[in-house]
Amino acid sequence: MSKPKFVYVTYIASTPEKVWAALTKADVTEMYWFGYRVKADGKAGDRMTAYSPKGEKAHDDPIIESDPPRRLVYGWQPLFKDMQGERPSRVTFELEPFKDQTKLTVTHDEFDESSKIFGMISQGWPAVLSSLKSYLETGHGLQSTWAEKVARCDAQASNDR
Amino acid sequence: MTKASFVYVTYIRSTPQKVWDALTDGEITRQYWGHRNLSDWKSGSAWEHKRLSDGGADIVGKVLETAPPKRLVISWADPASATQPEKVSRVEFNIEPYKDDSVKLTVSHTELEPGSGMERGISKGWPAVLSALKSFLETGKATPL
Repeated sequence: MSKPKFVYVTYIASTPEKVWAALTKADVTEMYWFGYRVKADGKAGDRMTAYSPKGEKAHDDPIIESDPPRRLVYGWQPLFKDMQGERPSRVTFELEPFKDQTKLTVTHDEFDESSKIFGMISQGWPAVLSSLKSYLETGHGLQSTWAEKVARCDAQASNDR
Repeated sequence: MTKASFVYVTYIRSTPQKVWDALTDGEITRQYWGHRNLSDWKSGSAWEHKRLSDGGADIVGKVLETAPPKRLVISWADPASATQPEKVSRVEFNIEPYKDDSVKLTVSHTELEPGSGMERGISKGWPAVLSALKSFLETGKATPL
């Protein structure tokens, strides 16, 4: 059986620099990533951290590669309680200028064959990346029921702690 | 032989009716897709994906299922091989209202020949076309293909 791999391409009317900032600066991710503050602006070896809208830590993963504004790779191991126990997966962002816009390719791989997280991220990335595109092109991100679902997991995890 | 498929989901700040129109009205598709999609969109009718330059069809097919503004299923083939059943693929558009002000659009392109030029072409094409569609509906300006 082949290992699960998720690939999503979107074209955004913006510059690679702005898309890069939107992927790595917590003050920007908060505007479209359904309230999550994702910080990934360090070098390889530094940490990528993400905090839920309520301030719970959702990620503390290694930055594997960082070549602004072209390529960013980080590990992915959600800290939510019901998603623990899987090995870390890997997210790769590739940004290419294309006809006055940016072609953004997101590849999420290195999952266990029976990964439960794979199902969640397959729903999550289209919502996050649609919202990112809207935010950069119109100034407004989108809403998402997917984010509410994750927020409920998050609340469950904090209740259980 | 196992067939290949491609699925793409995008969320658009718009209404199901506007997304439906943007897929089926040739005067709208021409503005973001570079082609006119032409048909009466009744079940069983033919549809064509026509170039703006000379009006020739790049893709042809039939309307297999229609339920505006929620669901459209069409067959999809290169005009040169439209009579060969193994070369005819299938595209489903599912349009769902999402949250207060958005639409979830799912495009499922199935029954593709694995490794064919058509499979390669549509796997590159749909993300570009659907990015352009989203920009067109949200900003009035399509991203270039």
